[in-house]
Amino acid sequence: MTVDLTQTPLRYGDAYDELSADGVTPRPHWAHLMESLQAIGPEELGRRWARAERRIRENGITYNIYGDPLGASRAWRIDIVPLLIPADEWRYIEAGIIQRAQLLNLLLEDLYGAQVLVAHGHFPAALLYANPAFLRPLVGVRVPAHSYLHMLAVDLARSPDGQWWVLADRTQAPSGSGYALENRTIVSDVLPDLFRTSNVLRLAPFFRAQREALTNLAQRDNPRIVLLTPGPLNETYFEHSYIARYLGFTLVQGADLTVRKRRVYLKTVDGLEKVDVILRRVDDSFCDPLELRGDSLLGVPGLVDAIVAGNVKVANALGSGLIETAAIMPFLPGLCTQLLGEKLKLPSVATWWCGQKYALDWVLDHLDSVVVKPAFPSRNMEPVFGAEIPPAEKGKFAEQLRSRPHEYVAQEQVALSTAPVWDNGCLNSRSVVLRTYVLNTGSRWIAIPGGLVRVAEAEGSVVSMQRGGHSKDAWVLWDSPVDTFSMLRPRNEPVELHRVSRVVPSRVADNAFWLGRYVERAENIARISRAMIPRVRRAEEAELVCLIRLHRCLESRHSKLPKPKHRRPTSVDLEQEMTSLLTDAKRPDSLACTLAEVSRTGGNIRERLSGDMMFLIGQLRDSIQIGHGTPFLEYPAMLTDCLELLSAFSGMERENINRGLGWLFMTTGRRLERAIYLTRQLREITTPLTEQDWSLLECLLEVADSSMTYRTRYYTTLQPLAVLDVLLADETNPRSLDFQLSHLADLYQKLPRHVPVDLEAMRAALALLRSFDLRKLKYPLPGAAAEHGSDGLARLASFLQGLEGLLPSWSNNLSSRYFSHARTLPITIGQ
Amino acid sequence: MIYRIVHRTTYKYKHPVSVGTHVACLKPRALPHHQLAQSELHIQPRPATRTERVDFFGNRLCFFTIQEPHRELVIEARSEVIMEGKATPWPQLALPWEEAARSVPNDHSPAGLEAYQFEFESPRIRVRPEFASYALQSFTPRRPMPEALLDLTARIHKDFCFDSKATSVRTPIEEVFRKRRGVCQDFAHLQIACLRSLNLAARYVSGYLRTYPPPGQPRLVGADASHAWVSAYCPGIGWLDVDPTNNLVPTNGHVTLAWGRDYGDVSPLRGLILGGGAHKLHVGVDMEPIDS
Repeated sequence: MTVDLTQTPLRYGDAYDELSADGVTPRPHWAHLMESLQAIGPEELGRRWARAERRIRENGITYNIYGDPLGASRAWRIDIVPLLIPADEWRYIEAGIIQRAQLLNLLLEDLYGAQVLVAHGHFPAALLYANPAFLRPLVGVRVPAHSYLHMLAVDLARSPDGQWWVLADRTQAPSGSGYALENRTIVSDVLPDLFRTSNVLRLAPFFRAQREALTNLAQRDNPRIVLLTPGPLNETYFEHSYIARYLGFTLVQGADLTVRKRRVYLKTVDGLEKVDVILRRVDDSFCDPLELRGDSLLGVPGLVDAIVAGNVKVANALGSGLIETAAIMPFLPGLCTQLLGEKLKLPSVATWWCGQKYALDWVLDHLDSVVVKPAFPSRNMEPVFGAEIPPAEKGKFAEQLRSRPHEYVAQEQVALSTAPVWDNGCLNSRSVVLRTYVLNTGSRWIAIPGGLVRVAEAEGSVVSMQRGGHSKDAWVLWDSPVDTFSMLRPRNEPVELHRVSRVVPSRVADNAFWLGRYVERAENIARISRAMIPRVRRAEEAELVCLIRLHRCLESRHSKLPKPKHRRPTSVDLEQEMTSLLTDAKRPDSLACTLAEVSRTGGNIRERLSGDMMFLIGQLRDSIQIGHGTPFLEYPAMLTDCLELLSAFSGMERENINRGLGWLFMTTGRRLERAIYLTRQLREITTPLTEQDWSLLECLLEVADSSMTYRTRYYTTLQPLAVLDVLLADETNPRSLDFQLSHLADLYQKLPRHVPVDLEAMRAALALLRSFDLRKLKYPLPGAAAEHGSDGLARLASFLQGLEGLLPSWSNNLSSRYFSHARTLPITIGQ
Repeated sequence: MIYRIVHRTTYKYKHPVSVGTHVACLKPRALPHHQLAQSELHIQPRPATRTERVDFFGNRLCFFTIQEPHRELVIEARSEVIMEGKATPWPQLALPWEEAARSVPNDHSPAGLEAYQFEFESPRIRVRPEFASYALQSFTPRRPMPEALLDLTARIHKDFCFDSKATSVRTPIEEVFRKRRGVCQDFAHLQIACLRSLNLAARYVSGYLRTYPPPGQPRLVGADASHAWVSAYCPGIGWLDVDPTNNLVPTNGHVTLAWGRDYGDVSPLRGLILGGGAHKLHVGVDMEPIDS
């Protein structure tokens, strides 16, 4: 099979085709690309496409779909054939979108300031007053350097006659520039020769300028800049973490910030750190529950007041969503003349705001040729295609428009242009929309050369990432030498070396700590279960008792076993309990639930974990697939798979993560959790054991992965004392209690602001443990009743009992010291 | 006549609150017929920060934060208001309501724009055909705006039953309209919705109302409550206040605190707390004439 233009079957009516004017010959600026693709050949292209897909998975590039029943993040979908834009055409687009950004910035400045445009009738008052996005508390607030818009996104489409039109403006928290960057990284990687020989304008200077623009906004040296995200459930969370990492900002959620004395602070494990600039991805009205939407859990109470006081800068300025509506489009040509003294360079798609009498009349007369949308995006309404309204319902719809006309806009439907996409071994055409970005540096405006191309799902012209479409890179083919600066590999700039990673928000530390605890908990549940399951069916009475004692080490509060005072559990009971323990997602102590917590806490800090680690976490979540038909004796194999993944995770934790604060909290969590399980297991050993109970010892060694250690030292004789030595006192065994306590104290000591009393308690516990001389411990031999001389043993038992109470208290103290302020969500009162 | 008003709000929390961020809208507005002689806001525990700001509607807000752990928060607003002269007489001659509805959108004067913003839906006010048709029984063709307004006020008073148990601060007006019950806040919201559904400008006024003890009994301190009523815009005349809860035109017994599009713009106190758990709220208002 060859890549052949004649295999491009789909052409949508009279739509403009980016690739070719006549359907056969490529336009001149596509010729080089087509020749290259031809030379690479479809098989190699297929391989490269697969490579791109793999990189997307490895990098964890995702896009969350709201309302997706899977609830999971979906891999970003990318097409490897870029959209090509020749230099002259780009100059035209660039001038048009920069002018538009200047115009919209001035418009916001007037609407939130003097409102001259309203008083003089250049901007309809109803469009201001009826708009829920008009934030009254922000009126009259001085925004520095005329920077209402830090960044603007403009959606462009090309009509059949080749003209570019603006479909929509994104003015408050434009998304997608990070995906554009990631697309570029991947496509230039899979088509390196083509990229090198095409003289493509680079994206990095745009992002360098963005970092500078935000730094300038702070008006002080070394400002702290944070990126405020709604959190991991947001559709573009991946991008938030990607941009934060790329630009070197701290990624925060509303609860990470607090306002004290009219200033914004970041809650970190080191204490409060002042914030100068917030690059926000949270919508306007959600940013401050005190003065804006009281029901918002995403914002920062008091943020508006801090802005009013001039103590923090927010980009884009709060309130800029006011003009994120197509309803302003009919007024832009007039406003452009008014505000800039120029003609509007790039036209908007034909739009009628029904709040104007003549516009409403026109729309009602031409309903079949327009699509009706809400004028204010916060109103939930799907676009209505006039032609699709049944004749019987047209009257009712017209009445709806007439009763509240200012709530609606109507737009002409544009036949989108089509571009080639790589689709299962050949090239097909799909409708495309180009989203471009303009940045305000304070002194000049810069357009991103290219942007994010969104591709319609199948034949047709509805383009929506929200509905699961995919995207493309856009290459501006330049006609003079290009700046090859890269943010990732700066050449001429001196690099500032810093070893210690940047601040750790309390929320991040909280999730890291619990990730450590849950991973360790999952491992303990899996190990204990794997030791039990093969023994359950063949267990005789005595062994069953051992297994129940082993089950007790899980301390499962939601156990389905009958209470001993009612009747003795049978092996059938135990079998049911094990199935429930592994699979019941409603049981907080089950393995399924624990793995879900691993995935939740890991997902909350995914920007700090490697792609490999996130991939592992995803696999872990799906590792236990037990259905009704799964035979009981197949569980251990599944548990072994799960344990292998957990070991891989531990390996990464040890070898692939910087020993920064995040790691410190994660590992502290792990040590604490392992110590908790070990203490319970040791308690079972110190309780008197009869000879028949000794198979429990074998299980415990297996659970602690210490059977080999034991056998090499003691051959096969199972002796409680010897087992105790391995699991309790052997400081060289990473699964001994001694090892846990000594490491815990070392780790805890490294935490900033640690509590000296707790550190002392940890050291005291370790000293006490080491004070037991196991050789002198008189262990009652089988058959002998517990008698005098077992004092040492009783002391050990009471030590373990005390430790069982201390370990959770250390965890709680740690929580309240470092995380509690990050956990509490503010409650609204009085509204 | 001078009134001394004490408005005391107490929050009692089950667990300590570590940080509280609050806004108070408790300072009476200065108006031609009432001057503010004195106004103080006492807050316990002592706020770490406290700033005043004039909001979009010209109301004076006080922002304060409390950063020490506390289980009780007391906010006491003390004001003295001088009521002067007679209230403006109710206009007899005025343009028909349809013309009021027609002229405001085209009036780009500051007063016209100021009024126009109160014609639209706001977070707690919906514009609905059922409100329009209820209002139209009072707003008959060519009826002068002030007369129709009084008629609507009287009908709401007659058709709706005062019932402090039927609704809460969050009850939507559609439900109030269906149940025909509520308190002053609900009746004010309902009347505003009726007026806006006819494309008339109407705003929500929060304030205090002087109450009289039953004959022969002493005045009870703290038994008064904060009140709410409606102000509607009539071109050529200005804003006309009506009180649908009591079916009267506010005069010297009503003290205006603040106005906005609806309750949400002028709620006397709102805030966000960290910690606290469940809380109990107690509000006492005392409005007393001082003879001097």
